Amino acid sequence: MEAVKSAARLSDTSRERLHVLLNYALAILTFIGLAIMVVIRQQRALAFDEIWLRSSIIQRAFVTTVTVSFIALIGSLVLGLVFYFFSISRVRYLRAFTDVFTEVIYGTPLLVMIFMMGYVFRASFNIAGPETFGLVGLTIYITPYMTNIFRAAFSSIPEGQYQAMDLFGFTTFQRYRYIIIPQVIRALMAPLMNNFSLIIKGSALLHIVGTREIYYELFALSNTTGRNIETFFIMWLLYLMITLPLSRIIQFVEKRWST
Amino acid sequence: MNIDIQGLRHEYDVEVLKDLTITLKDVSSIALIGVSGSGKSTLLRLLSGIEKPTTGTVRVNGTNINERAYKERVGFVFQDHNLFPHLTLERNITLILEETRNIPKSEAKNIARQNLEALQLADQMHKLPKHVSGGQAQRASIARALALNPEVIFLDEPTASLDPILTHEVLMAVKKLRDLGKDFVFATHVISFVKDFADYVIFMEHGAIVEHGPPSIMDAPTTRAMRNYMDKVH
Repeated sequence: MEAVKSAARLSDTSRERLHVLLNYALAILTFIGLAIMVVIRQQRALAFDEIWLRSSIIQRAFVTTVTVSFIALIGSLVLGLVFYFFSISRVRYLRAFTDVFTEVIYGTPLLVMIFMMGYVFRASFNIAGPETFGLVGLTIYITPYMTNIFRAAFSSIPEGQYQAMDLFGFTTFQRYRYIIIPQVIRALMAPLMNNFSLIIKGSALLHIVGTREIYYELFALSNTTGRNIETFFIMWLLYLMITLPLSRIIQFVEKRWST
Repeated sequence: MNIDIQGLRHEYDVEVLKDLTITLKDVSSIALIGVSGSGKSTLLRLLSGIEKPTTGTVRVNGTNINERAYKERVGFVFQDHNLFPHLTLERNITLILEETRNIPKSEAKNIARQNLEALQLADQMHKLPKHVSGGQAQRASIARALALNPEVIFLDEPTASLDPILTHEVLMAVKKLRDLGKDFVFATHVISFVKDFADYVIFMEHGAIVEHGPPSIMDAPTTRAMRNYMDKVH
């Protein structure tokens, strides 16, 4: 009797999973259908041959987008951690500085931030080109979001654990090495991937400082080939090629590390 | 154990201990009872050296609790076990033995195993705290305290967040401490348990010790405060 029940339950969950899969397939088909409709309704037939001739440019642009995004990820991660420590510092000035910094960034559109860094700030600190300064702008823009995920991760460790660490006489090094960092890293992973996705999308705006990333090169390609419909389609797909797997990774990491 | 408290005062946000003085000799299990907020948890934390008193001196077995080495000689069981959530029950114990007591890996493993087995957790020791019941986690935290081979173990309402069945399970573990010959001080609301296992009872109210003596004082309270409390918990 028990065996029958559990078999029935099992088929219930597998049927449920099948339903979920079918509905996802349907939703994806809806989007593909929409894309096909857009293609068909164009005034002229699409032709990709001229663009394929320049596929090495597209490849290079793809690599550039991933590279600058990765640099911004690492940079904002380090700065975010520094600002997190500022925000819990005993030095009032550092806390105030963090607050002011955060408000200024929150109040600035990313496009304006990149422009300000790439041209205005660069003009007064003439130590690198607009591209580098623009990338700094993107990095700084993401920093408060990184500070937030550090704050959330550190506060996920309850007071009781600090009491236990006190009780057992852990040194500061031991606290971080064995208790705090392992838990913080776990809590950090999923939101970190989210922020990486933010950075990749934000990197499209780096074209205004001349970074030859996906948007820059594909836009240029649409001008040189005159095939703007095709190039924008490719541009869109390239971004999705990075961000969609990333969001799958986020889901996987969340599932894996929350148990 | 011997406990000597002289003019102990403690102040913070809400709870206050008011000028406690008491000397206890040759007692092995002390129960602290009283309503929530009466100061029993604070007294327990001060006795264990987790917190430092505002003024006054406390000696446990002749050692001043302000001495640095004191904390290493006592065990503490928190109300909510406070096991490290990312470590297995076994690792929760071996980490502390290896890192803070400089015990070699293999020996630490043996000690952890022995203590977890003593509390019937042999089959659970490779699980994370969130994968065992609240009662099992609390027992593991008792095993963690025991593994450090302390002179005295302090337990701060170890069953406060557990249902009656798990409460029984944890109280049996506390009983085990007695069987192992450990001295312990515990705060609790489970009066029947106090009657069976404590050999000294301290009743507190508003941060002061109102009555104290052998468990028989619970049958004939001399103060109205304790009479009220006993009426309510029965």
